[in-house]
Amino acid sequence: MPDSHDEIRYADVNDDVIRSLVETGPKYYITLAVAVGVTLLCYAFPWFYQLYYGIGAAGMNHPAVWGTYLANFIFWIGLSHSGTLLSCVLHLTNSAWRKAMYRSAEAMTLFSLMVAGSMVAVHLGRPWFAHWVFPYPNQAGLWPNFRSPLLFDVMAVTTYLTGSSIFIYMGSIPDFAAARDRTTGWRHYMYRLFSLGWRGTDTEWHRLGRAYTFLAVLIIPLAVSVHSIVSWDFALSIVPAMHLTIFAPYFVVGAIYSGTAGIVTVMFLLRKYMRFEKYITKLHFDNLGKLLLVLSLLWTYINVLELFTGWYGGESTELEALKYKLFGYYAPLYWEMILFCAVAPLLCISRRFRTSFVPMLFLSIAINIGMYTERFLIIATSLSRKYLPDAWNLYVPSLVELSILVGTVGLFCTLFLIFVKIFPSVSIYEVKETLPAPEEGSTQWQSTR
Amino acid sequence: MAIDAIGLFRGPEAALEAAGRLRAEGFAALELISPIPLEGVEHRLGTKQSVIKRFTFFGALFGGLLGFALAAGTAVLYPHPVGGRPIIPIPPYLVIAYEMTILGGILATVVGFLISARLPVIRERAYVSEASVDRFVVTVACAEAGEAQRATAILRAAGAEIVEAALGRAGPA
Amino acid sequence: MSFLDDFRARWRAYRHPGHYERFDYAWTMTIDLDRCTGCEACVTACQAENNIPIVGEEALAKGREMQWIRIERYWEGEYPDVKLRFIPMLCQHCDAAPCETVCPVTATYHNQDGLNAQIYNRCIGTRSCSVYCPYEVRYFNYNVHHWDKPLDEQLNPDVTVREKGVMEKCTFCIQRIRQAKDHAKDDGRRRVRDGEMQPACVQSCPAEALVFGDRQDPQSRVAKMMADPRAYRVLEELNTSPSVVYLKKVGADAG
Repeated sequence: MPDSHDEIRYADVNDDVIRSLVETGPKYYITLAVAVGVTLLCYAFPWFYQLYYGIGAAGMNHPAVWGTYLANFIFWIGLSHSGTLLSCVLHLTNSAWRKAMYRSAEAMTLFSLMVAGSMVAVHLGRPWFAHWVFPYPNQAGLWPNFRSPLLFDVMAVTTYLTGSSIFIYMGSIPDFAAARDRTTGWRHYMYRLFSLGWRGTDTEWHRLGRAYTFLAVLIIPLAVSVHSIVSWDFALSIVPAMHLTIFAPYFVVGAIYSGTAGIVTVMFLLRKYMRFEKYITKLHFDNLGKLLLVLSLLWTYINVLELFTGWYGGESTELEALKYKLFGYYAPLYWEMILFCAVAPLLCISRRFRTSFVPMLFLSIAINIGMYTERFLIIATSLSRKYLPDAWNLYVPSLVELSILVGTVGLFCTLFLIFVKIFPSVSIYEVKETLPAPEEGSTQWQSTR
Repeated sequence: MAIDAIGLFRGPEAALEAAGRLRAEGFAALELISPIPLEGVEHRLGTKQSVIKRFTFFGALFGGLLGFALAAGTAVLYPHPVGGRPIIPIPPYLVIAYEMTILGGILATVVGFLISARLPVIRERAYVSEASVDRFVVTVACAEAGEAQRATAILRAAGAEIVEAALGRAGPA
Repeated sequence: MSFLDDFRARWRAYRHPGHYERFDYAWTMTIDLDRCTGCEACVTACQAENNIPIVGEEALAKGREMQWIRIERYWEGEYPDVKLRFIPMLCQHCDAAPCETVCPVTATYHNQDGLNAQIYNRCIGTRSCSVYCPYEVRYFNYNVHHWDKPLDEQLNPDVTVREKGVMEKCTFCIQRIRQAKDHAKDDGRRRVRDGEMQPACVQSCPAEALVFGDRQDPQSRVAKMMADPRAYRVLEELNTSPSVVYLKKVGADAG
């Protein structure tokens, strides 16, 4: 087995990736069973309990009517941002280091979106009528209210889900063809269906390249708009700490930041458990670390802006909101968020840190904990204190909510584990593009060039 | 009866040269099958035009109009006064139109891709499974045996590892 | 009219529908804070009239009270110069209601009487209306409610009982408004007279601090109260155009 990246042959890439699809050991099944178990125990059962007893099973009250369910929703949509968005941006800038990891990153996007969508159902008071937010002709002649920011959300997330699925599928067609050629039985039929008869002719490659580029160009503004629209659920209200124009860029930067940290976590796990050490290397972690540093600085900048403009303006409700955020009941969470998201990533300045795998894993998890806290704080601190002081109240999440938060991670892991056995999780043809071409085996013919 | 002359090459340069020579000799139904997209194909085989961009453009346009029409039309069908706003407020409906523009563009691009790449494959086409691993394959569709012999001779001269002339079409396995 | 003229006329109508200039009745309430004693008779009457659930001690401790009208209480100053101020707070039926725009299924809208109407059957429980309301007057049904016997016998048959997962709030006793309008129609197609119909809270206030009527009628009591120099609206700077007008307290202990 070649050890270094430069000694990999084309055939090795096919071998490694298809082996990861076909061979499953007991470790995989155990992990899958644990993930499914966590999903059922921590997500499904508490949710059914809540469906029976009402949203009262959660910790929400009057006026803190929004809680961790929406924080989860925003967190998972944020995680979804980096995969496809980063993949598209790096594709358009022709960067080579994206090639080994973008497939899994895009899968992360897709499954995060699905988990976020399920969170909406958990959040609703009457989720059995959730289909009413979709425009469909009905007997009552009723249509959804397109003036609502929540409807923008529905349209944006649906479009993003469709776009991400199509994007990851299109990019995988040649890999499905490679898998089709090497598998047997039900897998062979599945890949035959998925690959649409792809052969790899020059025409097909050209068309795929064009279509893929157009999709990348379309998805970048889409991804930016999706999280802006999610932020507008808050920013279009008149709640003091939420009604800020900075929310749209704040959320987009936060999403890319949290998503990139998520990619680092997933890359570490893939590398370790799918034996992709040759393909996901220190170079990738180095570049991801640099990206995390830049995004962390941007995020800190936006936070400072929010504090500075709020304080300088001197408006009483704004000042009260800021004081509460920094020094009120939830202050420990606020400072934990600052520590994990603004201070800790500064470690990425050191190249040694960036290229060490386990420290980067811990940092990425810390960043995501901090970013989740940020989403939670936006909801909890703003809704506990609005305009009328008599109505102020505290919000503390209940056990059901915390359990469902853990359950969403289980759901995501379940979906991802199923993914790695169906989709080639490293892109075969794109990795080959970074390798030296196979040697010319010419014996008779002389080049006339 | 169609005959396919198929040549397998180890390296991309040899395959490209062979394809160029075949084209120069007048073989038009030429396909270069490779595991990765090749540089220099357009140089040898002529520039390619695709119709996908038209699909994307009109799909996006149609999507945008449809989006605004959806929002404004449904509001007009059952007008509800809300929040002191007009029945057709422009900024929110522009957001809806924006999302539908992108959705329309994406779906139209997919349709355009499938049509212009002639996928999915219904009737089998010439293919060798090594082409998805590490071999570069040139296939020429010939009308009769004489042409096929000429083609296989050129392929052999260009350094093909394996040359075969398959009757009919061998499709993807 | 040609097709283009017709289209242009329709476009103008949809851009400026004029709903908010042509109310059938523009129901308004004035609350005289000088007269209000904070006795909460209005709260009790509202609970009885509108089948508001009794949430129980546990839910109340969690902060899930259900009071369509509540008496807000503020303490000012330090002992022994403590002053108590209270203000009844109910749905302001804002003409530019932030809660109406955000409901994704249009479960709340502005009706032809200038009321912010809540449609329980359409509500899917996103609770965004409650977030967007600056007055905190929207209440969510967190649990299934039940009434111990014999309280279930005093439920008002004119008002529905809301199931869990649905948002509710003050309706200006729309069932009484509807009944009064029907009665007036049967009585010879006349309009509802001033004072003929009162919401439960207005009816039960012992100090007559609450006055209700149609502000479009210049002879009505509310119109005259609104002309008082003490009149103001809560959180006016948010441009919500509320339909509830408060009369500032100017007594000796008002400070």
